[in-house]
Amino acid sequence: MDWCFASSRGEWIASAVMAVPSQLGGLDATVPLSLPGPAILAQYLVFAVLLGGIYGLVALGLTMIFGVMDVINFAHGALMVVAMYALMTASRMSGVSPFLLIPLAIALLFILGVGIYRATIAPIIDAPQENQLIVTFGVLLILTSIVQILFGSDPQKLELGLGSFRVAGVFVPEGQLYALIIAVIALAATWLFLQRTMVGRAIRGTADNRDGAQYVGIDVPRVDMLTFGIGAALAGLAGAVVPLFQSITPSLGDQYLINAFVVVVLGGLGSFPGAFVGGLVIGFIQVFGLAFLEGSTYQILIFLVFILVLLVRPEGLLGGASDG
Amino acid sequence: MGDPLRSAVERYARFRTQWYGLPTLLVVVFSFLAVLPMLRGVSLLGVSPLGWLSLNSIILTLVWATAAQAWNIMSGYTGQFSFGHAAFFGIGAYATILLTADFGLSPWVGMLIGSLLAAGYGLLIGVLTFRYGLEGHYFGLATLAFAELLRYLFNNLAVLGGASGFFKPLPREYASGPGLAAFQFATDLPYYYVILGFLALVSVVSLVINRSQLGYYLFAIRERETAASAVGIPTFRYKLLGISVSAFFTAWPGAFWAMYFNTIRPDTVFDLLVNVEILLPAIVGGVGTVLGPILGSLIAIPASEFVRQSFEIPGVNNAVYGIILIAIVLYSPRGVVSWPSRLVELLRTRTALLSDDVR
Repeated sequence: MDWCFASSRGEWIASAVMAVPSQLGGLDATVPLSLPGPAILAQYLVFAVLLGGIYGLVALGLTMIFGVMDVINFAHGALMVVAMYALMTASRMSGVSPFLLIPLAIALLFILGVGIYRATIAPIIDAPQENQLIVTFGVLLILTSIVQILFGSDPQKLELGLGSFRVAGVFVPEGQLYALIIAVIALAATWLFLQRTMVGRAIRGTADNRDGAQYVGIDVPRVDMLTFGIGAALAGLAGAVVPLFQSITPSLGDQYLINAFVVVVLGGLGSFPGAFVGGLVIGFIQVFGLAFLEGSTYQILIFLVFILVLLVRPEGLLGGASDG
Repeated sequence: MGDPLRSAVERYARFRTQWYGLPTLLVVVFSFLAVLPMLRGVSLLGVSPLGWLSLNSIILTLVWATAAQAWNIMSGYTGQFSFGHAAFFGIGAYATILLTADFGLSPWVGMLIGSLLAAGYGLLIGVLTFRYGLEGHYFGLATLAFAELLRYLFNNLAVLGGASGFFKPLPREYASGPGLAAFQFATDLPYYYVILGFLALVSVVSLVINRSQLGYYLFAIRERETAASAVGIPTFRYKLLGISVSAFFTAWPGAFWAMYFNTIRPDTVFDLLVNVEILLPAIVGGVGTVLGPILGSLIAIPASEFVRQSFEIPGVNNAVYGIILIAIVLYSPRGVVSWPSRLVELLRTRTALLSDDVR
């Protein structure tokens, strides 16, 4: 029972959450108790959109696997962490800019995803839902452990010398802006892939109706393998952008994972636009909650919204549209 | 050559189907557990095979066995897979400490109130989720959200100790001194027998439910809820009963946790990993069985302790949990308790093949 590990993780999450606003541009989030001026509000708005975009990117792979295979991938956050450390190590060892190494992280995670699918998910894809949940949680524990053993649990930072610039009196942190741009490109690319390619059509068909897809000759296990690989690759992309604006630890994935669940359910399972809408909602709650509420109270709000959506509209805000 | 083995295994299979089979096995297991602390000191030919097991680690084994046994009453029997039992565990821990430290109540009273509060929270979760027909993934995620909600609530409310949590009060602050009445002891051994008593009680409750009409109702809900409701079982009410009984008893190991360790914090009792530690023994041992959670805990937790001691790398025991989880779900989804019957099947098919050859 390694409770030291658990506790240091909890404290770390707390400090990471507290660090977000300062990393977002040096604002002290707990200060403004009086009614904020329009400039401050605009500033928060920018932070919320930036953070929301990143949550959307994190949720993308999760919602895809969920939508197509009906599997909750608990290992999603851990896959992100693998990508973070892979990117950081590769960048440090080769001296190449991490931006150029992002495709490498995506490729690595695709292969890892396919491997995980073949070893653990494929044999039990038709078993009760909780079996897949337990197995992916097992993968989470193993991956996090490996990263922790290799790199230790202390936070590490990739020094990029990224600053922030001012637009009309509003700070825009560069790291997060690049992350957002990458997120939008990823969304567009995945969208095009799903809409315009034969493989994409096969994936959408499988998401719509697994049995029907089988009958019209789609190789469903192959689609599953590709979907899991692409989902993991998207986790890799999300993980690869995190070091651009945040220091990383092996347990950072858990925090992202839990909120990504919320985003996925909020937006509607398998819905890509929903992932970004859900991401924005969570981004707004987090940034404004950090600004106007004490401590990590905003996280309580996030869970309340989550439970409310689960109860009232389990298909999500943009649910029903399972067209990718 | 296989004959003595086969007849022994067959005899065991027959014994298991008798009404007294399971109770007898439980008595055997609990007798073993009762002498386990002493067995650690026994040495055979100069080596003590269980010497590496610390008392602390077998106490934790029983803590998670008790929690898994309680989890099983709901998730194993009714099939509503909960991923958020840390909520009930933490409520039990906090209620016990808070009522003892702030109101000077006996920890046993605190534990009882904590169990009732946990049952109430379970009822709330049940009413909300079952009424809206949440199932499978959605139910699992909802229970996780309810547990995480409590973690952040306790982290942010100063009244409830905030992120730094609570220190356990000294026994003389609310009782005459250490002892059973104070739920605090000078040594670890009495703690072991207290948690063994908890496990025995929850196991008996689980066995009684398993054998009663209530149990059959719950199993019917697990197998096919619409069919159960079609033959007249009020499924909503029985699912609520399942979750509140389960929550009630999950608070017990939580209360024990609070009185055994010196401090509790939201990030230790409501942690994501607590949810896993609670369900892991039941999965390893066999979901929906009385013996499963106990056997599963006896395998998984000492195994992770053994690896932790052998490698002395922080975090490695979590990897062991991960490997055990994956291996069990992939290769033996019915858990360790199904191994004897699988052996019987294996031997039967082998003898059938052999006799075919002879002919």
